[in-house]
Amino acid sequence: MGSLYRSEEMAACQLFLQAEAAYASISELGELGLVQFKDMNPDLNSFQRKFVNEVRRCEEMERKLRFLEKEIARDQIPMPDPKEIPNSPEPREMILLETTFEKLEKEMNEVNVNATTLKKNFLDLTELKHILTNAQTFFDEAVLDQSQISEDSGHLLNDADGLQGLLQTLRLGFVAGVVLRERIPTFERLLWRSCRGNVFLRQKEIDTPLEDPNTGEEVMKSVFVIFFQGEQLKAKVKKICEGFRATLYQCPETANERREMAAGIQTRIEDLNTVLSQSLDHRHRVLVSIADDMKAWHMKVRKIKAVYHVLNMFNVDVTQKYLIGECWCAERHRSRIETALRTGTERSGSSVPSILNRMETTEHPPTYNCTNKFTKVFQSIVDSYGVAGYREVNPAPFTIVTFPFLFSLMFGDSGHGVLMFMAALAMVVMETKLMQTKSDNEIWNIFFGGRYIILLMGGFSIYAGLMYNDIFSKSFNIFGSGWYPHPQRYSEHTIDHHKDLTLDPTNNSDYRGHPYPFGMDPVWQMSLNKITWLNSFKMKISIIFGVSQMFFGVILSLQNSRYFRNSVNIFCEFLPQMLFLSCIFGYLIVLILYKWIAINATMSACAPSLLIDLINMFLLNYPLEPCSSAEFYDGQKSFQSFLLLLALVCVPWLLIAKPIILKRQHSKKQVQLLNNNDEFEGRKSTEINLDGETQTSKQKDGRKDSHTGHEEEEEFSFGEAFVHQCIHTIEYCLGCISHTASYLRLWALSLAHAELSEVLWNMVFRVALKMSGYTGLIAIFILFTPWAVLTIAILLLMEGLSAFLHTLRLHWVEFQSKFYKGDGYLFDPFRFDKIIEVSADD
Amino acid sequence: MNSLNFNIDNGYLEGLVRGFKGGILKQTDYLNLIQCETLEDLKLHLQSTDYGNFLANEASPLQVSVIDDKLKEKLVIEFQHMRNQSVTPLATFLDYITYSYMIDNIVLLITGTLHQRAISELIPKCHPLGSFEQMEALHIASTPAELYNAVLVDTPLASYFIDCISEQDLDELNIEIIRNALYKAYLEDFYKFCQTLGDSTGAYMSDALAFEADRRAFIITINSFGTELPKDDRAKLYPRCGKLFPDGLAALARADDYEQVRAVAEYYSEYRVLFEESSNNPGEKTLEDKFFEYEVMLMKKAFLDQFHFGIFYAYVKLKEQESRNIIWIAECVAQRHRAKIDSYIPIF
Repeated sequence: MGSLYRSEEMAACQLFLQAEAAYASISELGELGLVQFKDMNPDLNSFQRKFVNEVRRCEEMERKLRFLEKEIARDQIPMPDPKEIPNSPEPREMILLETTFEKLEKEMNEVNVNATTLKKNFLDLTELKHILTNAQTFFDEAVLDQSQISEDSGHLLNDADGLQGLLQTLRLGFVAGVVLRERIPTFERLLWRSCRGNVFLRQKEIDTPLEDPNTGEEVMKSVFVIFFQGEQLKAKVKKICEGFRATLYQCPETANERREMAAGIQTRIEDLNTVLSQSLDHRHRVLVSIADDMKAWHMKVRKIKAVYHVLNMFNVDVTQKYLIGECWCAERHRSRIETALRTGTERSGSSVPSILNRMETTEHPPTYNCTNKFTKVFQSIVDSYGVAGYREVNPAPFTIVTFPFLFSLMFGDSGHGVLMFMAALAMVVMETKLMQTKSDNEIWNIFFGGRYIILLMGGFSIYAGLMYNDIFSKSFNIFGSGWYPHPQRYSEHTIDHHKDLTLDPTNNSDYRGHPYPFGMDPVWQMSLNKITWLNSFKMKISIIFGVSQMFFGVILSLQNSRYFRNSVNIFCEFLPQMLFLSCIFGYLIVLILYKWIAINATMSACAPSLLIDLINMFLLNYPLEPCSSAEFYDGQKSFQSFLLLLALVCVPWLLIAKPIILKRQHSKKQVQLLNNNDEFEGRKSTEINLDGETQTSKQKDGRKDSHTGHEEEEEFSFGEAFVHQCIHTIEYCLGCISHTASYLRLWALSLAHAELSEVLWNMVFRVALKMSGYTGLIAIFILFTPWAVLTIAILLLMEGLSAFLHTLRLHWVEFQSKFYKGDGYLFDPFRFDKIIEVSADD
Repeated sequence: MNSLNFNIDNGYLEGLVRGFKGGILKQTDYLNLIQCETLEDLKLHLQSTDYGNFLANEASPLQVSVIDDKLKEKLVIEFQHMRNQSVTPLATFLDYITYSYMIDNIVLLITGTLHQRAISELIPKCHPLGSFEQMEALHIASTPAELYNAVLVDTPLASYFIDCISEQDLDELNIEIIRNALYKAYLEDFYKFCQTLGDSTGAYMSDALAFEADRRAFIITINSFGTELPKDDRAKLYPRCGKLFPDGLAALARADDYEQVRAVAEYYSEYRVLFEESSNNPGEKTLEDKFFEYEVMLMKKAFLDQFHFGIFYAYVKLKEQESRNIIWIAECVAQRHRAKIDSYIPIF
């Protein structure tokens, strides 16, 4: 486990792979997942790369797999996840897989074609059956209509002649068929229009939906019969039918023939049914046999494809025997990578080993922080603000403590803390089980991903709640309150009926003389001036913790400057910053502590007001009245003036010193460069002389810095540096003041939380507690639910979220702005598990 | 309709279409595409664009026609989605866009049946945006009057057709006349509709449709040379909503050869340039290409303004141009005829 303090030391490496061993080596590295490859041919199109054919073969395989998967899904056969993730296959296996898929696809296609023809036949027969069964009614109705017409026109036609007679006498022709139900209205209208009303259409809906053999969807259809007269009309009707994709069937004219035909069709349908079910059975068996392997196949193909994608980033040397690539890897993982490369070489049976060659580069290495499941969430909080620069101090390890701590200051309630802690604990304990059942629920995933941070936040909140002595807005009185209205002095009646009764801390009969040993005295819970007292206390601790965190941030910037050997930053930035902060806010903290310790109840009338004192310090004005604003120690005026002066001096120091020094360094280098221009070697020695002190263990870093520094100085511009520094100075000085004020949100949120929880208790649950007897019992039963629900929904979830966001802000803005540049980029190693995860999400 | 209330009904769709527009291929994509050696390469490159996996489920070897179908399918899916989400007046506007495809389909089907082709063979060639229910029954008609009475009377195109009802048999020339008459009526109606919408939709669409109308007038005139179409009939086919109306159209009606057409264009600065820069020599752009280029320029302008419907029209037109480009490149690649591969019309 590496340290989280700074990111891993990275090495830029060159990788020489023998052509035969390349595939195996890369797949080993993919299993290892510790190497980030650089694209050596960014100018090449994806289809101009070396292994594009292999990638294409993989895509073809994926296409076949998708096809098979679709078929499996259509039969609703479950596809289980493989028990273990298969190893990346050998190139040989790729051919094997290809042939398997090829065969399966062919078989599936055949089966499908057969099934389609069978279904088509089946559909035809069923449609015909429907026509035959319905035809009788059509013909009967037609006869009836016709006969009515005939009767009107005076002809005598009896039923015995039947339809045949009618058809013969009028020479009526007819076609029968089936058409989609939704097309009937337009179909009918078009027939009417184009045949000028000379056709007669009867239609009936088929009740059972029919399966479309091509798409497998169920469609609703209607049976129709069209009567017409003459050949021309017949041609036209047929054309229209064709246009509406109606299927026409030969329908015998006599009822007897129809009956016979229907019987014949019935047997044929039954035969077909058996054949159809057999072929479907076969299809099902085939699909079941492959369903288990589907996921594993997918992963395998995915892996092969990924390996070839990586290989496409490699350069091929002139002799075509080696593939050359560049990659980043952590310094301490190099031996593991080399081992993996060796296994890869062995696996491929190649005799020539692969070579991992460290190389010097001027590029900025990626930032790689080794995290585990606990630190991951804290690292991601930092990373979502900005990825740390290479080897820059990483705020994540401090965040682990400060984040839940600052959160708990705002969320300080032990009761709520316990609930939060328990919820997170449940998630942590059942971690493995919950992890297996992958959920798509985004909200759940957010909570689950942050389970460790919630656990810590809950735990810290319990502590803060004990400190505030706040449990569901109630207090515990464990050690006995320090305040004690003596029964000799106050009768019970006085205590009960005097709302304005004030206890005197100087009086021994009111106050025991020693404070409550742990946390807030429970007596404040019922005092009228509780909020005034708590405000004063919480504001002060907000300032103390906030300013301390800012101090810490500034100290971390010193760590950065020391690590990167940037003495200019130490003397021209860190020092004035530190002085500025301590002269104003450091001094304020000292005053707060002084006031807490030195001022006691007897002096309360003239206790110094720190706010007024701070204002006076800036105004250089120390009035004697009122006594709270007067000086309270000797030499206060001159000392404070001195501090103010010091702070003011820091501003120009911060503003001007750095650009001037940089400019001087730059011009000195220029002169030296000019002097050394005659000698070839001169330039190199200058650099080494300049950075002479940065040798020894950090030699290479020093060299790198000097190198990059050199490039920057080539285009150094004083104006730009000055403007930059100007912005930086303003940001810092104003930031110190506004950030200190910003930390007061610790108090504000805490107050809001405590008040809200108190209101909820008083307005909801206490109503029930006030009632007596059985009504009280029932009321408690009823009112507990809204109280509990509101506690969880508003106080835990909403308030928790708000406190979380405020904590996030305090870390990102107030803390990290003091030292964190965050201009790096993340190390993104080539890992099979990630690739497979992504594909599983698709 | 005004900018204030536009987003209530159309905000989502405008955002959507602007997003779609962001996926239109850029010049760099084309530069990559024309380097392709095979259609597989083309597919691979298109995968890295917004087209994504639209060809992933096609078995190789790939056909140009398959690419064409898939391109159309993608546009149709996007368009149908927008049509389903829209409410009037945008819904009507989008319907108007489909009418031009319907006209093309009708003409295609009539021509096909005239040449004794089976209807089942013709249907797949129709543009899916312009399909309508009675479309497949078109081949029953043998005269325009029948066509109108039997089939078209139920379609939105009915009112456009009234001018060309006749009892003459359908023949090649007749069909062309029908097509142009339909287009004329359609453009004028669309133009009128857009004017009722007013605001920037009206302003933008009048530009776009005016260009479309003028282009048709020029092309009708040029194509009519050497045919037996009388000049009066020709004049009747000119859409009267363009910049050429009325003087330019009158001049075009009198034109006898290409030079006279060019002389008419001289009076209109935007068209003069197109005629001057085009030629029929190999290696130079044809007049048709110049028109397309001008259209692309015009369509891109639509996206500079907000709160109007013009971008929907422009998007469909740009996408169509893009499909033409891809198909052109694909054809060049497939036929190994690379000399003219770069005569596509870049959009962005």
